[in-house]
Amino acid sequence: MVTKTEETELNQFEIQVENGGGGAWEYLCLVRKLKLRRSEKVLKHGSSILNDPRKRSALGPDEWTLNEQVAIAAMDCQCLDVAQKCIKVLQKKFPGSKRVGRLEALLLEAKGLWGEAEEAYSSLLEDNPLDQAIHKRRVAISKALGKPSIAIELLNKYLQLFMADHDAWKELAELYLSLQMYKQAAFCYEELILSQPIVPLYHLAYADVLYTIGGIENLISARKYYAATIDLTGGKNTRALLGICLCASAIAQLSKGRNKEDKDATAALELHSLAAAAVEKEYKQKVPAKLQLVSSVLRSLKI
Amino acid sequence: MAEDLVLDTAIRDWVLIPLSVVMVLIGILRYFVSKLMRSSPTPDAKMVKEGQVVIRARNLKVGANFIPPRSFRTRRFYFTNEENGLLHVPKGEAPTNPQAAMFSDPNMAMDMMKKNLSMIIPQTLTFAWVNFFFSGFVAAKIPFPLTQRFRSMLQNGIDLSTVDVSYVSSRSWYFLNLFGLRGLFSLILGDENAIDDTQRMMQMGGFGFDASKSLGAEKDGLDIIQHEWALPRFEQRAESVLRKLVK
Repeated sequence: MVTKTEETELNQFEIQVENGGGGAWEYLCLVRKLKLRRSEKVLKHGSSILNDPRKRSALGPDEWTLNEQVAIAAMDCQCLDVAQKCIKVLQKKFPGSKRVGRLEALLLEAKGLWGEAEEAYSSLLEDNPLDQAIHKRRVAISKALGKPSIAIELLNKYLQLFMADHDAWKELAELYLSLQMYKQAAFCYEELILSQPIVPLYHLAYADVLYTIGGIENLISARKYYAATIDLTGGKNTRALLGICLCASAIAQLSKGRNKEDKDATAALELHSLAAAAVEKEYKQKVPAKLQLVSSVLRSLKI
Repeated sequence: MAEDLVLDTAIRDWVLIPLSVVMVLIGILRYFVSKLMRSSPTPDAKMVKEGQVVIRARNLKVGANFIPPRSFRTRRFYFTNEENGLLHVPKGEAPTNPQAAMFSDPNMAMDMMKKNLSMIIPQTLTFAWVNFFFSGFVAAKIPFPLTQRFRSMLQNGIDLSTVDVSYVSSRSWYFLNLFGLRGLFSLILGDENAIDDTQRMMQMGGFGFDASKSLGAEKDGLDIIQHEWALPRFEQRAESVLRKLVK
C-alpha cells in the first residue's frame, strides 16, 4: 500500500514534471517502485529521456530498466511502435533473456494476437514454472478473450501454488462476481479479510456479497460487516451506512412474526436510525438538492 | 611477579597491524568469492508451496476473529485435517526429511560444501600462517588481569611460566580479530553482508528451511485457537461512532 508521504511526494513530482521542471527520472523511479499505473506520463517523460542521447547515457545501466518501463507504458497507451522500438533495443542487448521474452509476449497480447501470445507464455512457463507474472498474464488473456470460466480455472490453479498472493484473491473475487457465483466470491473476500483485517474495503465488499446472497443469517452477518466498515472508516462511508439501512429493513421483512434474534433486533434499531440520520446529514452537507429523495427512500425503508 | 614488561613498538607495527589488515582483506576476498560462486537457488515448487501455505495459515491465525465461525472452522479443517490437510505432515516423513533432503539433493549438498569450504580454508590457512610466523614471543598485553587458567589458551607460544597471564601471544590476537571484525565489515561491505565467522559457524550447524517443523508448528497453533467472533462488538462500536457523528 502506498503511504501518505509517498503519495504527496508523488503528486509533487508529477506537478513539477508536468510544468517543465526537472526530476523526470526520480518521478519514473518512484512510479516504478510503487508499481503505479501512470502510463501516459511515463510514456511522455520516459521517451523524452530515451530520445535524448545525452540524458540516456547519463542513466548508465538503468537505461534498460527505463526501456522496459516505457515499453510497458507504451503498450498500455497502445503506441505499439514505440513499444516495438524499446523491445528491439532490449533484445539486442540481452538476447534470449526471460524478461525480454515476457515483454515480447506482452507485445503480442497488445497487438491482439492471442494465440501466439498464449504459445509464447506456455513456452516461457516450461522453462520457469514458478514465474508468478507469466501465470497472471495467462489469466489476463482469458479474461480479455471474454472467457471468465477459463480465467477462473487458471487462477485457481495458480492460487493452489501461491496461496498467499492477495492480489490474486482480489482478482478471483471479481471474476466470481462477474459470473454471479456469490458463495465463492464470499470465500475469496474472507481470504482477503484474513490477510488484511484493517482494510475497510474488504469488509464492505464482503458485506455486499452477503447481502446479495440473502437469507436471514447472511443479512445479520452483512449488517455486522457494514458496522465494521463504519467503525474502520469513522462513519464516512456512505455505502456502508445505506447498507445498514437496507439490511435492517430486509431483516425486518424476513423476520416478521418470528421472535428469535430479539437481542440483535434491538441493537439494529438504534444502529439503523443512527445510520439513517448520518446519511441524511451527509446529503445535507454535500448534495442538498437530493435530500428530499433520500429522506423519502429512508422513510419507506423503515416500514 | 607482576613486573611490567616493556613491549617493543616494532611488535605493534609488524605484528598486530599487519595481522588485522590481512584478516580484513581475507574477509573481503571471501565475500567477493562467495558472491561469484553463489548458485542462484532454484526454488522447487514444493518449497514455494509450503512457504505460501505457512503464510496463509499464519494469516488465518491472526485474522481468525474477523470471519464468521463456520468459515473459520472450514478453513481450519482444510489445513489440519488428518488425511489431506495441508499442514499435516505424515509421521513417517518428518524425521527423515532433513537428512534425506541433504543427501539426495545434489544441489543442496554442493551448496553446503561450498559454504563450509569457503569458511574453513581461509581460517585454517590464516591460523597456520600466524602460528608459523608469529609465535614464540609476547605480542600484546590485555588491559585487565586474568586468572591462571587462561595461560594455556593465551600464551601457548611463550614457554615461560612466570610471565603474567595478561601478556598474550599473537594467536590470541588472531582469535580476537576473528570474532570482532564484524563491525568493520558492516562498514565496508554494507550492513547486510557483515556476516563474520561467528555467524557462519552458527549457520553451519542449522541449515535450510526446515519445512516439516514449521508446518507442524503452524498446525499446532491453529488447533489451539478458540474462535471468538469479533464482529458483534463492531456493531456497538459503529453505533457509538455514528452517535458522535450525528450529534
